This record gives sequence, structure tokens and C-alpha cells, in this order.
Amino acid sequence: MTNFRTFILGLAASFGLPWLCLIVLPAMQYEQLTPVAYDKDKDGVEGFFPPAPINGQGQLVYIREGCNQCHTQMIRPVQLGLDGWYKGWGQDQEARPTTPARSNVLGDYLGEKYAFLGIQRVGPDLANFGFRAPDKAALYQHLYSPRSVHDWSTMPAYTGLFKVQKIQGPVSEHAVKLPKKFAPAPGYEIVPTPEAERLVEYLLSLKKDYPVPGQSAAVAASPAKK
Amino acid sequence: MQTTPATPDTDLQADNLRRAAIDKSVKGPVLFLFTNGAFWLMLSTLLGVLAAIKLVEPEFLGDCQYITYGRLQPAHINALVYGWGIQAALGVMLWIMARRSGQELKGGKSLLITAGVFWNITITFGIIAILMGKSTSIEWLEMPKFVWPVLLACFLCYAWPIARMFGRAFRPEGFMVSTWYILGACFWFPWIFITANVALHCLPGLGAIGAGIDAWYIHAVILLFFVPVGVGAVYYFIPKITGKPIASAQLASAGFWSLAILGGWTGMQKYMGGPLPAWMTSVGACAGVLLLIPVGLVGLNHHLTTLGKHSSVAASPTLRFIFFGALFYPVSGLVLALNSAFWTGANVQFTQSWYAFQVVSLYGFFSMCVFGAIYYIVPRLSGCEWLSVRLIRNHFWFSVYGIGTIVIMSLVAGWQQGVDLNDPDHWDQTFMNHVVNSRPYVVSRAVAWTLISFSNCMFLLHLLLMVAGLGRRSSAPTLLEHDHDDQALPHEAHA
Repeated sequence: MTNFRTFILGLAASFGLPWLCLIVLPAMQYEQLTPVAYDKDKDGVEGFFPPAPINGQGQLVYIREGCNQCHTQMIRPVQLGLDGWYKGWGQDQEARPTTPARSNVLGDYLGEKYAFLGIQRVGPDLANFGFRAPDKAALYQHLYSPRSVHDWSTMPAYTGLFKVQKIQGPVSEHAVKLPKKFAPAPGYEIVPTPEAERLVEYLLSLKKDYPVPGQSAAVAASPAKK
Repeated sequence: MQTTPATPDTDLQADNLRRAAIDKSVKGPVLFLFTNGAFWLMLSTLLGVLAAIKLVEPEFLGDCQYITYGRLQPAHINALVYGWGIQAALGVMLWIMARRSGQELKGGKSLLITAGVFWNITITFGIIAILMGKSTSIEWLEMPKFVWPVLLACFLCYAWPIARMFGRAFRPEGFMVSTWYILGACFWFPWIFITANVALHCLPGLGAIGAGIDAWYIHAVILLFFVPVGVGAVYYFIPKITGKPIASAQLASAGFWSLAILGGWTGMQKYMGGPLPAWMTSVGACAGVLLLIPVGLVGLNHHLTTLGKHSSVAASPTLRFIFFGALFYPVSGLVLALNSAFWTGANVQFTQSWYAFQVVSLYGFFSMCVFGAIYYIVPRLSGCEWLSVRLIRNHFWFSVYGIGTIVIMSLVAGWQQGVDLNDPDHWDQTFMNHVVNSRPYVVSRAVAWTLISFSNCMFLLHLLLMVAGLGRRSSAPTLLEHDHDDQALPHEAHA
């Protein structure tokens, strides 16, 4: 029986070490993390980091639809990929930014129960989508009929998040504007459901490029004022 | 299983009787798991076809919100992992452990069947929930929260008797390495499963660390559950059928312990360059590459064991599947190393290459080994032989071609996607190049899953006929080639 016991001990020890170091201790440390206050002299801004929470209600729709199968929310450093240099993928929306968008840090996801970093990158990264997002009408159009925006798009049309209804009185101000080919039958209009509205609020709240306290303040804080 | 040759006839007879008694004792639960697993495999491959089509042509079958790619893909993977993978693994583990330790399953059979029923009902609910929009979007844990305690309880219902058998084992000639692997799988899976679920569902929220834990969970389940079961089956069946002992005990032991030591460290490299502390992703990447050591050791050992017995690979269905499964073990190790190493991993990050690893380890390696095991086990439990050589052959070739296509195409697609994503010329462009260039690869993925679905249709049909007792009534096993089977297969192979 001693043999059996040593064997089980071996199994426990070989797996227990990575379990402890990689899961338990980092998780315990993470639980201690709290929002950090900016230092106005050094960082040039006030308040706490991360400054803006994401829209949690809208995230539920994002989760439900499995958007993270195709969209990541993670900017990699420039030595790993082009992410930081993509046009508009950071806070700086200049045509040719002088510095790349910063890669993400643990604190960026502080308010989220689980960070949807993504599985594959079939579509563009959404970590800083809020900075580059078009107006809501364009977003609704993209969600309702991606192919009316790009004919090569492989994004599913989330028609389930919209309602086709008969126009009664004046056309609703929220009605989705579509090119002729994709437009509903005459006399009908397409309006977003509350779920679509929440999802759009969430997408607009994705802004993870705020300056990190005490880190690369020059890079992160400057582009906004120009 | 050889004893002193004093009274060979009576000994052999006693041995055969003992084996028959063991087989009879585990018959119900094992056949139940295999049949249900085969149904889930069928469903999962069909969902795989559909998901791949939806990734190319999202308007296929209309804009129905229940079958968008974001819901189909998790349903496909969950059916493959929990419906087929773990169920089939439990069946193989239970049978091999009973045979290896020479123990009959004493009592608790109805508990095992009940646990199996609950497992299947829970997964049915879980997968319907994903499609209905209750997904958690946590990779491999997409099924809603309520699922995991039930799954855990059902798993433990099986793990306990397996461990008990090991404890009570009658061991005249020491233990074979396959039992180490199976016991390891029994022991590690609940640990990994509880850790990931408690961390992601019960703790107040771990942000980006949670994403790291999820990546770790996927790799730990593959490397410390599916791989041990697969390798355990290979170590059991190759000597059994070729009649040769395992080439090297030292290699076997080194292969086992290096896997045990490295398996728990890897996974987080999926998010290299991300918000996780850099040391965590680096350690994962290191372990991912170092895992080539256990993979190589085991591969070498298998190679040395089958050396000179390749004619039985052609003849015995079991050995053929096991042999190709064993070949895919080094392949999956290489894919993991490719995804992990910094100089290739940065390019293939967030591409199909990661899907290639999941599929090659789950289907190419693990499932092929389990098919081999099933072709050996089921005739002994159902009391009849496989009906048709053609069905087995088709199952084999369509699976091999299908999985080969998926792996090669996903790797090339991964490389292409990485190049498109990171090409500096694309800095101000839309994702058109990226989407259009990866289209042919996704189409090939759909075709490959179709081949695999077709092969699994035949497998399921064949298995159902066997379970219904409609197989061939014969004392000679169904072999794929009859020319030289007398020489190739020693008598023990049929026991």
C-alpha cells in the first residue's frame, strides 16, 4: 500500500505546484486589487483608474451571442503584432498616430467579472471600440445587416435583436436606416429592441486605453490634447 | 496474463472465465457510455459542419438567432468534449481498470447507470441552453452554471469505483503503465474541473485572470485527462494485440512523470502579450514547448513496441486505430509547441491554429485511440463480433482523411490569418483581406467535418447493431485483412 500512497502523493505534488502558483496565488492576489488613484502631477489626470466602467447589462447580450468567438478585446504590444498600430485601435484617432496604442494591463478589466479576451480574431479587436465607434445609427445598421456595410462580411446578422413593425404615424426616430437592397417592405420599419440598445451601449463603453497610473504617462496621456 | 505453464489448459480456461466474469460485470455501464457518447459525437460533428459553414456564409439557413456561429461553435465543442470525450473516456477507463486489476465491478451498477443518465440529461440541457442564449461564453465552460455540480457528481460516481479497483487489485506481475495514466486521469480531472468552475462561477470575479484560468483549464483537461486516457489505452492495447511487452519501462515512467509535472503549467500562453502578468504566459509557453519531451518519450516507446508488428496494424481494427491515434500524439504535441513558442505563437495567436490543437488532440489523438479500444471492448461485452469490415474500414479512412484535412488546413489557415493580421500594410485597412483569405480554409474545414460525420454515421450504426446483439455470431474476430492473420496475431489477442 505504501507504493500506492507514494504514487498518489506524486500525482498530487506534480499537479499541486502549478495549481498553487498559477491559479490560487494569482487569484488571491487579484482579489486584493482595487482601483488606483491617479496622481495629478505625474499622470496629468484626476480620478481613479480604470476611469470608466463597461456597460454590464449590454455585456450580457455580448456574452449570450458568443461575440468573443470572433472578436478579441486585447491589444498586444507591438513586438507581438500590429494591434497597436491599427488605425483607430487606441484612444488616438489620428490618421497616423505618433505612438502605438498601449497593450492592455490587468487593471483595464478590473470592473469585469470575467474578461472576454476572445478566442479567435475573425473580426477587429474591440478593446477600444468605444473610441472609434461610429454613431449609433451606423452601429445598429451593422448589427442588423453587416453585409449592407461590407459585402464580404462574415458577421451574422443579428436580426433577432431588432423588430420589424408596421409604420404607424411618423417613422420612428430609432428606425434602422438601410440601403435599398436591404430595406424592409414599404410601410414597415426596423427598430432596435432594448437588448440591441444595451449591446450598443456596451460597445460604446469599451474604452481600455486610458493612461495607467505611473506608467508611460507621456505616451498614454498626451494624444488626447493636440 | 500468463502464469506458470504447469497446467496450461486449465489455467487458460480459468483465466478466460475470470475475464468473462469481469466483462460481464462492467457490461451495462460501459456499453451505455459508449452508445450515448457515439450519439453525441455524431451531433458534435454535424454541429461542426454547420458552424464552419456559418463562418463562411452567415446567411446559410437564414438569420435564425439560435444558429449563429457564436452559439453553434461552443455547442459543437461542448458536445465533443463533454458528450463524447469524457463519456467515452470513462467507459474505456472503467473497462481497462477492471481488466488490469482483475476486479469485477461489485455492486453499484445501477448507480453508475443513473449517473450516466444524469450526465446525458444535464448535457442535453446545457447544449440546448447554449443555443437558446444562456451561454456563459467562457470557452469550454459555456454551459450554464447549474451544469457543473451535476457533472462533477456523475464523474465522481465513476472515478470512485475505478480507484477502488486499483486499490484492491490482485497484482501478480506488477502494474502496467496504463493503470498509472488512468488513475492519474481519474484523480486530476475533478481537481481541474472544480478549480476552474469555482474560480469562474463562484468567486466574485477575476477579470483577466479568469480568462487565463479558462485557457489553463482547456489545456489541463486535454493534457491531464484526455491525453492520459488516450495514452493509457495505447499502452494497454499495443502489447495486448501484438503480444510484445512494452519496449522500455524507463521510457514509460519518464514519459508519465514528465507529463504529470509539465501538464499543469501550460495554457495561459494563449493570451501572451495580454493583460496577464508576463511570467504566467511565459511559463505556459515554456511548458508548452517542453511538453515535446513526454510526447517524444511516449512516441518513441510506442514506436519501439510496434516495431516489426506492422502487419497486425493492417489486420486488426483495434491496432489500426490505436496506431494512428498514437501517431497523432506527437502531432498534437508539435501543434501545441508551435502555438506556444514565441516566434511562431505571436503569429498564430487568435487564429484557427488553436482550434487545430483542440481538434487534433481531441479527435486525432484521443478519439482515434478510443475508437480502437471500442473495437476491442464491445465484442467482448455484447457477445458478438463486428458485422462488417467495410464499415470499419470506411470509419477509419474517412476519419483519418477528415482529421488530417482539418489539422493541416487549420494550421495553414492560422499562419495565413496571422500574416494578414500583422501585415504592416494593413494598418489602415478593413478586415477584408483577412476574411476573404481565410474563407477557403474554413470551407475545407466544413468538408472535413462532413467526412468525419459520414464516418461517424457508420460507426454509430455499427455500434448500435452490436449493442442490440445483432453482430456476427462467431468465435473469430473481425479482421481487416485475412492473408497473414495467423502469424500476425497471437492467440492472446483474441482473449
